Amino acid sequence: MNDMKTGSAQTARPNQRPELAALDDATLRTALTRMHLIRKFEEAAEASYMRGLIHGTMHLSIGQEASAVGTTLPLQAQDYILSTHRGHGHCIARGAEPKLMFAEFFGKETGYCKGRGGSMHIADVEGGNLGANGIVGGGLPIAVGVGMSIKAQKNGRVCMVFFGDGASNEGAFHEALNMASIWKLPVVFVCENNKYGMSMDIARAMAVANVADRASAYAMPGHCLDGNDLAGVAAVAREAVERARQGGGPSLIECKTYRWRGHSKSDRNLYRSKEEIEEWRAQDPIRRLEDELKAHDRFDAAALMKLEEDAQREIDAAVEFARTCPDPDPKDLTRDVYAI
Amino acid sequence: MPVEVILPKVDMDMETGTIEAWHVKEGDQVRQGETIFEIGTNKAVMEVEAPASGAIRRIRAETGIAIAVGTPVAWIYLDGETQDAAPAAKPAAMPASQPSATATVVANQASNGVAAGAVPVGLRATPLARRVARQNGIDLRAIAGSGPRGRIGEADVRSHIAAVAAPAPVAVDGAAATCRSAEAPADTLKPFSAIRRIVATRLSESMRTAPHFYLSSEIEMSAAQALLRRLAARHERLGAPKPSLTVLIARIAAGVLGHHPLLNASAEGEATRFHQRIDVGIAMEREGDLVVPVLRDAGTMDMPAMAREFARLREGVAKRSLTPAELGGGTFTISNLGMYGVDSFTAIINPPQGAILAVGRTVEKPVGRDGQIVLRPMANFTLSSDHRIIDGVTAARFMADLREALENPEVLL
Amino acid sequence: MPSELIEAPAELRELSYAEAVREALAQAMEADSRVFLFGEDVGVYGGAFGVSGDLVHRFGAERVIDTPISELGIAGAAVGAAITGMRPVVEIQFSDFVTLAMEQLVNQAAKIRFMFGGKASVPMVVRLPGGSGTGAAAQHSQSLEAWFAHVPGLKVLQPSTPHDAKGMLLAAIDDPNPVMIFEHKLLYKTKGHVPAEPYRVPIGKAAIRREGTDITIVGSSIMALKAQAAAARLADEGVSAEVIDLRSIRPIDFTTIAESVRKTHRLMVVYEGVKTMGIGAEISAMIAESEVFDFLDAPIVRLGGVDAPIPYNPVLEKAAVPQEDDIFAAALNLLRRGEA
Repeated sequence: MNDMKTGSAQTARPNQRPELAALDDATLRTALTRMHLIRKFEEAAEASYMRGLIHGTMHLSIGQEASAVGTTLPLQAQDYILSTHRGHGHCIARGAEPKLMFAEFFGKETGYCKGRGGSMHIADVEGGNLGANGIVGGGLPIAVGVGMSIKAQKNGRVCMVFFGDGASNEGAFHEALNMASIWKLPVVFVCENNKYGMSMDIARAMAVANVADRASAYAMPGHCLDGNDLAGVAAVAREAVERARQGGGPSLIECKTYRWRGHSKSDRNLYRSKEEIEEWRAQDPIRRLEDELKAHDRFDAAALMKLEEDAQREIDAAVEFARTCPDPDPKDLTRDVYAI
Repeated sequence: MPVEVILPKVDMDMETGTIEAWHVKEGDQVRQGETIFEIGTNKAVMEVEAPASGAIRRIRAETGIAIAVGTPVAWIYLDGETQDAAPAAKPAAMPASQPSATATVVANQASNGVAAGAVPVGLRATPLARRVARQNGIDLRAIAGSGPRGRIGEADVRSHIAAVAAPAPVAVDGAAATCRSAEAPADTLKPFSAIRRIVATRLSESMRTAPHFYLSSEIEMSAAQALLRRLAARHERLGAPKPSLTVLIARIAAGVLGHHPLLNASAEGEATRFHQRIDVGIAMEREGDLVVPVLRDAGTMDMPAMAREFARLREGVAKRSLTPAELGGGTFTISNLGMYGVDSFTAIINPPQGAILAVGRTVEKPVGRDGQIVLRPMANFTLSSDHRIIDGVTAARFMADLREALENPEVLL
Repeated sequence: MPSELIEAPAELRELSYAEAVREALAQAMEADSRVFLFGEDVGVYGGAFGVSGDLVHRFGAERVIDTPISELGIAGAAVGAAITGMRPVVEIQFSDFVTLAMEQLVNQAAKIRFMFGGKASVPMVVRLPGGSGTGAAAQHSQSLEAWFAHVPGLKVLQPSTPHDAKGMLLAAIDDPNPVMIFEHKLLYKTKGHVPAEPYRVPIGKAAIRREGTDITIVGSSIMALKAQAAAARLADEGVSAEVIDLRSIRPIDFTTIAESVRKTHRLMVVYEGVKTMGIGAEISAMIAESEVFDFLDAPIVRLGGVDAPIPYNPVLEKAAVPQEDDIFAAALNLLRRGEA
């Protein structure tokens, strides 16, 4: 692994901003690998969809990788996440296996949810992923209950719940933040503000400028971040996660980011301009991190290239695996409606 | 390797798409993200971007044609790549695996044909009453329901069965069961056919509930025979079937019935139902079963029409093509066994009708005319009547008019 | 021994319905540290209908938790706690307020297990005081149980006696699925025999409250009691009515109903929910579709709530739902003693 460690020693990182300096090389490799996996995963998902291999629609998070990976970096193995309809990235950031995710996409019995859930309901309960959610804001009240569980069981875990800018206008958001705050629950609320609730510009949908501004109404810290800056996101997330773990109560983190693709596969981008999309593509969170690492001589180009190529290989193999998996048997249709 | 350009899926339920317009032509240089063609779905036109930068070549999809999702429509050659490097076209979209839905469809096949317990349209009976009737071979029409609007309940069927005190049905299997003894040769026990069950039930019912009485008359058939001969010639000209004696008797009886409403009536509870129409049933045999197709509105039919209808019914009986409606619902019945050499007989009323006319053979007999003994074709007619609604004199008047009409058929026709 | 003379034998011990529910909650919390109760005013107030009573003093505010007026948040918190190892029991103060919690109950609680391919279960109990008769008018008097019986993944119970209220709540807490228990408000003060030790009444098993041969009357909740009273009067008229108390409407005990109808040949279904598209429609259709159809000797009769909101005026309120007299008259009518 030494060949991956290039440039200056970990202890001395002159001229680096503290958020970047705080991340050691191994953590950065993990982060970069996860961001590449998310990007490649979404691209392969899109290609599979266009080839008709995927049955339903999907919501791609290309462009939002730093938010998913940065917020989850401080989480420990036993911690929980709750995700959204745009949740592929959260799963991968939390360590899900792409091949089982693809199997789920293709509706296969070997998928995370045995083909019953699909893109919007990927869960890995044993791995701490309590599930993506097809309902905008659906995970927010659930996070309160997970927080109550953690508190009652005194197990020191933390629950991180993702939601979008659109969800912050649901009643569920306000009920959940209030309940988490009055009971000082170990919950970190992460709003991925990608500017649009489907086509509705958040500036037209919300009276305050930032979702994070709403934190004050629930007496919790609110952080408004550049969501495409991995190191910045990770630094704030670490603070919020530690606060939660120490019994300090919940925090609200707002990652301002952007989805390069449409809301879903039937989006014609009528509500935004190509120029706007181009501006945000220039803020590619992966390239930004790579450029900064090269500039500070933390990694060389070859090492970075290898991380990306490895990720591509893993995704290619995942698609291949999923294609060959068996479909569920219709006779098992009602098998998991009830627990016995 | 050149980059494949496929026809993408752009909508959830999309299986094929149509290229509305190409924005580039063979050999153009395209930049990744540049729009290269427009795709039309049933909802909208969407722009498709180049997946890579390079020269577009081997455009192989025309506009306006439905193309399967995933089909390559062109390739983009990167700098330095030649067309020879083109890979063989991959097959179009992999067949989407189709889990075979195994919905089990249970078809409810209504048994075709008449069955015991079959319920005529309009009869009100509970499912349990129908079930009990079916099991006991009871015709629900023979039962007056005590429920709301005459609905027959189980209790009605049970009390009916008790009243009938029918012997317990013999259990037999589908094939002929045999009963053996040491000395006698084996008897054969053949279960009733569906129609036989109905006949058995209904005629038993008739004998039990309708007090029968009988009147016989010997009627001269000379005029009728002469008329039949004339009609035969006329029907031939008209292309109508040759009229039989049965048809003529039916026509004449129908005419007479018009003047005797009580003979065209039914006992119904404690009332007499007078039928507006005269529908004459003709008893026929079919492979050991008795069926009674009905000549509808026989009182208004002319002879050619009646001959045609009779022929149609007889053929329908043979072919088993008549509907239950055509085989029931008469108001009076004629049974003619003269062709078998029967001189005279009494018939059982076909319920709920009030009377049935039994016709014997026509045979030359010595009769007295003007003090002389002469030979005349004579036939015996026996009327069975339901005494609940028909008295002796009523029946006698009908028979007198029938004689008059048969001996002077021209008058009526 | 003298003590036997002083203490009533256990089998004669009587409790009110509300006390029976409270005893079940207390015994469940004593036996299992995962069980906790939360809802609006369940703490020192003791619950809007006095059901939780003194439980907060016996088990502490950590396990008997007052919540904000946030029904969606309450339901979602129960989901989150249930999927992370707890056994939450929540009270929706009036069953009408469950309309505010539909999202979490219908989209989340009922579907999580199925969507996740059987890899999670949601062992939660929702108690809902429902029904009319208290003059609380249209928004505090509804009987909404049939709504939830339409949702695969939920179980829906309607205990009618103190004995069942305790035994079914304990069974529901044991159950690995989300269970909704509709408790009729008028039943809380009714008294009946309740054994002191914990016991379970199986979910999905109806009770034959009275045996009879002429007509089967199926009732749920308070209507099962009204049916029993009507059956006693019918006996004076020479009519032998069999009364089935449904107890559970999902799963429904069709076998018991079918066997009874096969015997009596007549069926009447009595329920307080609005007649149209209700429990009666389902039971009628199940009978009509089954082989028992051929044993019907009269049309099936449904007695349900009038197709109107519950009115305030007490005369109108009584007229809006089936009463004992209605059941008595309809049964006589069905037996052709009256005019149909």
